[in-house]
Amino acid sequence: MAWETVIGLEVHVQLLTRSKMFCACSAAFGDPPNTNVCPVCLGLPGALPVPNGQAIRLATRAALALGCTVQPRSVFARKNYFYPDLPKGYQISQFDEPLALSGAVEFESPERGRIRCGVTRLHVEEDAGKLIHDRFPGKTAVDLNRAGTPLAEIVSEPDLRSPAEARAYLTTLKQILVYAEVSDCSMEQGSLRVDANLSVRRSGDPNLGTKCEVKNLNSFANVERALEAERDRQVALREGGQRIVQSTLLFNAGTGQVKLLRSKEESHDYRYFPDPDLPPLVLGKAWIDEQRGALPELPEAKRDRLVARYGLTAYAAGELTRERAIADYFEAVVAAGADARHAASWVTGDAMTGYNETGRFAVLPVRLAELIALVAENVVSNQAAKKVFASPRMADPSAGSTRAIAEALGLTQVSDTGALAGWVDEVLTANPKEVERYRAGEAKLIGFFVGQVMKRSQGKADPKGVQPVLVERLNGK
Amino acid sequence: MNIGPDGVLHVAKLAEIGVDEQELPKLVEQFNRIVDYVAQLDDVPSDTKAAPFVAGPTATPLREDVVGPVPLARPPAAFAPEFADGFFLVPRHGAMEDL
Amino acid sequence: MTAAAVARETGIRLAKADADGLNATLHWSQAALDAEAARVDARPARGALHATPIAVKDNIVTTDAPTTCASRILDGYVSPYEATAVVRLRAAGAIMACKTNLDEFAMGSSTEHSAYGRVKHPLDPSRVPGGSSGGSAALVAAGAVPVALGSETGGSVRQPASFCGVVGVKPSYGRVSRFGLVAFGSSLDCISVFGRTVDDAARVLETMSGPDPLDATTRADRPPLAASAARADLKGLRIGLPKEYFPADLHGGVRAGLDRTIKALRSLGADIKDVSLPYSKYAVPTYYIIAPAEAAANLARYDGVRYGRRKVGPDGDIRSLYRATRGEGFGPEVRRRILIGTYVLSAGYYDAYYRKAQTVRALIARDFQRAFAGGIDLLLTPTTPTPPFKAGEKTDDPVQMYLADIFVCPVNLAGLPALSLPVGRDGGLPIGAQLIAPDFEEARMLSVAGALERVLRPTEEVR
Repeated sequence: MAWETVIGLEVHVQLLTRSKMFCACSAAFGDPPNTNVCPVCLGLPGALPVPNGQAIRLATRAALALGCTVQPRSVFARKNYFYPDLPKGYQISQFDEPLALSGAVEFESPERGRIRCGVTRLHVEEDAGKLIHDRFPGKTAVDLNRAGTPLAEIVSEPDLRSPAEARAYLTTLKQILVYAEVSDCSMEQGSLRVDANLSVRRSGDPNLGTKCEVKNLNSFANVERALEAERDRQVALREGGQRIVQSTLLFNAGTGQVKLLRSKEESHDYRYFPDPDLPPLVLGKAWIDEQRGALPELPEAKRDRLVARYGLTAYAAGELTRERAIADYFEAVVAAGADARHAASWVTGDAMTGYNETGRFAVLPVRLAELIALVAENVVSNQAAKKVFASPRMADPSAGSTRAIAEALGLTQVSDTGALAGWVDEVLTANPKEVERYRAGEAKLIGFFVGQVMKRSQGKADPKGVQPVLVERLNGK
Repeated sequence: MNIGPDGVLHVAKLAEIGVDEQELPKLVEQFNRIVDYVAQLDDVPSDTKAAPFVAGPTATPLREDVVGPVPLARPPAAFAPEFADGFFLVPRHGAMEDL
Repeated sequence: MTAAAVARETGIRLAKADADGLNATLHWSQAALDAEAARVDARPARGALHATPIAVKDNIVTTDAPTTCASRILDGYVSPYEATAVVRLRAAGAIMACKTNLDEFAMGSSTEHSAYGRVKHPLDPSRVPGGSSGGSAALVAAGAVPVALGSETGGSVRQPASFCGVVGVKPSYGRVSRFGLVAFGSSLDCISVFGRTVDDAARVLETMSGPDPLDATTRADRPPLAASAARADLKGLRIGLPKEYFPADLHGGVRAGLDRTIKALRSLGADIKDVSLPYSKYAVPTYYIIAPAEAAANLARYDGVRYGRRKVGPDGDIRSLYRATRGEGFGPEVRRRILIGTYVLSAGYYDAYYRKAQTVRALIARDFQRAFAGGIDLLLTPTTPTPPFKAGEKTDDPVQMYLADIFVCPVNLAGLPALSLPVGRDGGLPIGAQLIAPDFEEARMLSVAGALERVLRPTEEVR
């Protein structure tokens, strides 16, 4: 009998602020340990938190981008537990009155087509510090630079039905948050972290099974792998007639296995209560509306618009909107006068090679637009255009026009009949046997002659112009 | 309400406070005395309502997102119990690496 | 008078207080006093508190002396930053005279719960000075300093002010920044002031007041506190006497002290009216849920990881470090309160205790609001149910100790300003009367207290 997998995800993203959530320390990543610390984020006696307005603004943007309802009043709460990376012995978070409720993410499921996954809530909280276990023998080192940096936690509904679907949801969620300029969502730098809840039930059973939480997921691929492992573990237990015990597990990316961290009986009692240092967070409707108005175009809307406006295929539009910078570059190239379909093909083609390596588009949009026009006018061949595109001068605003660059590189085509005739005559003279054979009826040799002309012209001859001249000479003699 | 030694020790574990075994009976007795005393709030009918009271402003002020200078007259090394190479140090614990 | 001269004189007086065995100071030195004086004398202009020596309760952080909260867990800790209140006082030319003894982390009503020993009452060493700001109260009462900072969470300035026969003023919650006041019950904590006179205390309070960008609970939407002269008469002033604060079994001396105060108010032209604050009787149990709950979280930071005393237990791991550091670093009363606070927030008990206490807190506050909305300008009550009690009398029974704050802690729950004024003595022991004002109406309360101060003779026997 078939089993259905039910998955919900808790995603933490670091908000792109300069300073920390509750103090004026830098939120920068990678500084020497314990240099971005102050009385507040060290939890010194007498220090008090004051919320960062920009963190609230970014969290609100994230909530609106996910279609959540931003609450006019939300409350900061203390989550109490002891850990060496948690300076105050509690984390300032939000509990029963979060910043935002009930949104959704629409995305392409590998199994079910276009679906929506509900977002239960989004709240703001502060991050903990970092522990380093391998640097001092027998000791754990504590770096509190990250302690107090602002996070948004996004909790999904248990709407996901497979590990692959969970991954697709995460990909879309990240895309939206990066578009909204809320977070850079870099799993490598820890600015996006995922905890996953999974349960299984008999297909058709309306009740949810007992869920387990999987932690320590450091890439989208590992989220998928960990959930597969956990699904298989639970199904095997259930098939064997055993019950699932609610617990927290850790994924080991090396072995691909999950292992038990703690069962529910050992679970924490966080003793949440409203933080008396912080009055309620009150956000006016006008302010929320202003944030909504300031949201950039989100991926889905942008994709639809690219299809409608430029006549692109859904696939091409999807590729172009994968990241906002790609779509922006594409539109800049079109705005500079390029044909949209050719621009799309360039941007998703040659331009992506450099972008994937460097994270930026080196060639100026106007140059690419010019290049596309030169190809259309047969001034530059498709082949030569790739070489022109790869030239560093295309990124240099002072390097003159694209035509000048192509000419300087010797990559413009010659379509002048007189010049072409010269090369044609040289080729015919040099290959009398082939001329004989052609004239005897071997018409396919025309390709050989074109190739020879291209070679003799060092690629500069316009192949479309070469053939009529060849035919004329061959037939005329 | 009667909270036994196990109950008090459970709370002490949550609060990470070591309790001396010799102290425990007296602590349990005082704990119960205080809990019994505060339980007199049960006399206030549970359906009694009042607008929630918030000490201080009704809305939190928000800070500008500006990085300020580090306001420490002395660096962490000056007050940390154990500090090396810029890090606070604590005893290593296997289970900690798992969280 | 130069600050240098004040510093010398203050040193002599502090040394005498120490020699008398009050045990009221924790950290001071003549060298530090002289350095403070040099700083003040070098200023081009005289500040509002020029050369005023101020004793500071040792739960308010200063960079030039330790801040221990009278706890072993902070033994030797010197703060790397300074409290906003202290920064403002220094900027006004005040001299930080010394740090004063207190109940550990301000938890107590007798200053017997100090890791550095109990503070003695200046008039009777067998008695307590009240608490938790007992060191500051005793120093002002002994004449060592004219003013001192204390802190209130549930009456910790007014109660010792009453016991010691000095003025104690608690401002509205949000009037004075808590930044740098070591947190106990954050929704209740207020830096407060002791003074020989109402005016002394008022000037210090005025200097410390005002919104602070470092404390989100200060009020930027309230008018500043302007010092106001004592009123010559109190015509038209309506004083409410809440009947719940005058129980039949009230101590005779305290009752006589209040009778005398009421008479004085009438003679100044005030109208006296009976009022009722029915929920105040639940203030102590409400307080002993809310304050410990907040304290349990506030004191979680003393974990031996970043600062303060560390003790590693037998297992040698991090949990063992936590339990030994906290089990041995905190004294019995602090441990008890952390445990109670942890319990009332724990799974399954939150609604029965913490949430219920929040409801009752709102009811207590509503009683006050209704009384003031009903035309009462100020409330008058006894500050304490009895004169100062004997040391050791209540240390074994935490609940009896808590009841010493029965008249003062409702005000903290409601966030209101209040003060205790010495109104006479009974058997040589001071009696205090409490004035309670509406939110941010400190000026009214201080001007009435000033008027009373002129006509009452606080060292006179009340019966």
